[in-house]
Amino acid sequence: MDLVAGRVWSEERRPIRHLDPVLLVTPILLSVVGLFLVYSSTHRSLTTLGEDPGQFVKKQFTALVLGFVMLVVVAAFDYRFYKVYAGFIYAAAVVALVLVQTPLGASPSGAQRWFTFGGFQLTPSEFAKIALALMLGAVLSELRTSEPTLTDVLRVTMIAVVPMGLVFIQPDIGTTIVLVAILVGVLVVAGTLPRHLATLALASVVLIFGAFQLGIIKDYQLERLRAFADSTADSQGANYNRTQAEIAIGSGGLVGQGFLNGRLTNLDFVPEQHTDFIFTVAGEEFGFVGAALLLALFAILMWRAIRISFLSKDAFGTYVAAGIAAMFAIQMFVNVGMVIGIMPITGIPLPFVSYGGSSMLANFVAVGLLLNIHMRRFT
Amino acid sequence: MMFAALTARLWYLQVLATQTYVQIANNSTFHVLKVEPERGRILDANDDPLVDNRESWVVTVQQQLLGDDPEGVLFRLAQHLDVPEADIVARIEDKQYYDYQRVPVAVDVSLDDIFYIAEHSKQFPGVSWDEQSVRRYPEGELAAHVLGQVGLISGAQVRDPAFAGYGTSDTVGKTGLEATYERFLHGTPGTNKIVVNPAGELLDELGGQLPVPGYDVKLYLDAKLQAKVERDLLTGLERARSIPDDDTTNAVTNFVANAGAIVVMDPETGGVEASASWPTYDPSVFVKGMSNKEFNQRFKDPSAGDPLFDRATQGAYAPGSTFKPFMALAALDNGVTSPGSYTDCPSSWAYRLDPDHPFDNWSRYDQGLLSIPDALKYSCDTIFYQWGGEFYDRWKANQLGAGSEPLQRDLKGFGFGHEPGIDLPSQAGGFIPTAAWKEEQHQEDPKAFPYGWLPGDDILMSIGQGYVLTSPMQIASAYAAIVNGGRLCAPRLADQIQTSDGKRVQKIGGQGCRRLPYSQQELDVVQQGLEQVVQSDGGTAYSAFASFPFDQVPVMGKTGTAERPGFTTVAGQTQGQDTSWFAAIAGPPGDQHVIVAMVEQGGHGSTTAAPMVRSVIEDMFKLGDTGVAGTVATD
Repeated sequence: MDLVAGRVWSEERRPIRHLDPVLLVTPILLSVVGLFLVYSSTHRSLTTLGEDPGQFVKKQFTALVLGFVMLVVVAAFDYRFYKVYAGFIYAAAVVALVLVQTPLGASPSGAQRWFTFGGFQLTPSEFAKIALALMLGAVLSELRTSEPTLTDVLRVTMIAVVPMGLVFIQPDIGTTIVLVAILVGVLVVAGTLPRHLATLALASVVLIFGAFQLGIIKDYQLERLRAFADSTADSQGANYNRTQAEIAIGSGGLVGQGFLNGRLTNLDFVPEQHTDFIFTVAGEEFGFVGAALLLALFAILMWRAIRISFLSKDAFGTYVAAGIAAMFAIQMFVNVGMVIGIMPITGIPLPFVSYGGSSMLANFVAVGLLLNIHMRRFT
Repeated sequence: MMFAALTARLWYLQVLATQTYVQIANNSTFHVLKVEPERGRILDANDDPLVDNRESWVVTVQQQLLGDDPEGVLFRLAQHLDVPEADIVARIEDKQYYDYQRVPVAVDVSLDDIFYIAEHSKQFPGVSWDEQSVRRYPEGELAAHVLGQVGLISGAQVRDPAFAGYGTSDTVGKTGLEATYERFLHGTPGTNKIVVNPAGELLDELGGQLPVPGYDVKLYLDAKLQAKVERDLLTGLERARSIPDDDTTNAVTNFVANAGAIVVMDPETGGVEASASWPTYDPSVFVKGMSNKEFNQRFKDPSAGDPLFDRATQGAYAPGSTFKPFMALAALDNGVTSPGSYTDCPSSWAYRLDPDHPFDNWSRYDQGLLSIPDALKYSCDTIFYQWGGEFYDRWKANQLGAGSEPLQRDLKGFGFGHEPGIDLPSQAGGFIPTAAWKEEQHQEDPKAFPYGWLPGDDILMSIGQGYVLTSPMQIASAYAAIVNGGRLCAPRLADQIQTSDGKRVQKIGGQGCRRLPYSQQELDVVQQGLEQVVQSDGGTAYSAFASFPFDQVPVMGKTGTAERPGFTTVAGQTQGQDTSWFAAIAGPPGDQHVIVAMVEQGGHGSTTAAPMVRSVIEDMFKLGDTGVAGTVATD
């Protein structure tokens, strides 16, 4: 029996001993903050309607618990196991994205984005992000060359384009941007030559231009882009969300108006506040201090994700961790950016904080993968 | 870098610029609500309301708050209010409303229904109600055609500068007086500053500006007289339907008398004291609103007889012999004849260059030489033909010169051939044919119009036939000119605009009168003729006014029996029966009134329209029953 520092060697190798506690605690902290913010933004309307004011929070808490269970499950199996099945996971995600376009997908406001299972909505695009990170990692880690050739770059791009296209036509520009970020993040970490990346960028500009020409982009999306370009445009229309969000955050001041005391939050002035615009609640009720602390939590999350990418024992782990880091980074940046008026309004939830079960589950799965890669960096 | 950007922006928003935003936030929690003003009333000549307002309940739906089961809520609501669910859905999906706005889905809902919804609010998330002022018609169907309706402002109106300051959910006058006097009736909206959340929960009320109610419109129309006139019109129509049609070429035995109109006017001001049109309708059905299908069934089905159409003002008909006084005045004015002259009245007369096409008098007997008053008394067509032929010659001799059509000029001077300018948004202008018009028709459609201007065009115009069309309202104001000293006044329904306590804001009536080129002598000659029509044995309306007490109420008048050529059989009914007319001036000097009756497919003026006018005069002057009108069918 080999002993290491007085302990049984196999005992010493048990992955749980190498758990990253910071990475485990950060998303839970974010989620708990999210519960408070969701309560603040919804309890008043629900009370007015004669409903349980904690209704949304309870649902969100359920999602949090489920997410934690998912995290444990995902972390329990060796992540290399997922590499073997990456193809199946990817295929399943693509099939789900196709099915959601059929009458199976509910259609509120003209967009087809989710399935409804007895009161719960399942949004396949949330899981497609992780499936894409796994698939890209699996393919790129099998390359024999030191850096991907142009053919390799094009091949993995094609892999990414399939879910991107399906998400784009839902239409969900926000998630499409996240998928692009995952692809770019993984490609950069995989050592893609800058000129290849430039070629890719050029091709995508041409494609996006084509999409506009063919009218695939819906009117309301153009409206939102225009609202960003011209912030003095109709404040009741496309620019309404952004104006109200800015006022809410701006009126928060340094320390905020206090929990449940946000004036605009209470009066429901900010639309979609418990989902995409949740950051406004933090801004109004907890001020600059609270908002900055929330950003700090995200900084920690990203720092741990990037660190894991470096620490990973193999290329697959490195790439998957990079993809997930890119995913969290772009979501956080685009969401907070749009809320405070430096990015266009695209409809991306703030990870762990925004109300939404699918997003919560997918994010915990992603953290589960990161923990997994971290734990098994010696085995 | 990412975090630096976000943090910098947050620092700017929350620390550097926070004061600005705090201020905006404090303001934006206030909503300034528009408070609708009470719409002004429409009053009759005695200040009795014809249209006022009543409170009504409106059920509204706020789409955002419908909850998890919007279909269920709407289904229950539709069931309970007994309206089609599709109607409610259509209203909610109307593009004019935002998701967070309360959309009215049912108006004029009973208080019981409101209580039910309030008591079962759990079943109706997002459903609430408002009190709304709607139009009330205390006199029911009375004068429906002139009063008109209100409705939701149209998209075109919202963009119209004339409606500046109106919102997309405003109620405006759509037809009738409601539309004409919209800017007086509407009032000025007030404001109410409130603190409210989108759930409709009122947090605080801060007051604001009170709305200014709309002004009242006071009419010349007398509700009591109008009611009698409407009754007389209907009675007259029913009576006409019992009269056999003596024209055997028509397929039906009796007169159809499907529609008609009576106008009573004050000749001094042009004020309309009564205006009745049959068939009519109940204006209150529009308060609740109705589907297109219901509207078509009720108002557009052929069997309904087009009840929304105001025959008195919007209808244009061949005036027949009621036109003759104006022809006589035109002939006098232009020297075609002179006040003391006599003209031969043969049973038939032909234009000298076209002897093969004689024009017949309505009477088969040669009546010898007649004075101008006698020509009117007997309604001698052939005398008027001769004058028409003379006017044709005048035109022929001076076709290209200015003023080559003195007849048309004079007739247009009487208000014919163009809108009379009554204070209603929709009115018939009628038609006076001209040589240029006929020539143009001929060029465009030689099949329908094989010739240009012919002698027959002037000749037929002289007895109010051919292409001539006038509305009963136009006839009334032209007759007013005969007795008011030769002034043509635009017909006016409204006397004045006044405040709710009766103070005058603006005078409307009695303005816009124009002097016509006729001497009192010329007018007297015509008046003499009109008097003989009614009061002298042999006059075309003598029989209709048999035993009438002329010593109490002097009456003048003129019958008219106008052919409606070109109408063919529709659904088994011959549509070609004559239009029956009678125009009268009744009352002692200083209290004269013009009364015009017109019945579509009513037959002779003397047997259908004249007795109706007699009933109106009896009612107006409280004469009681003065005897039965005779049944001698004349022109």
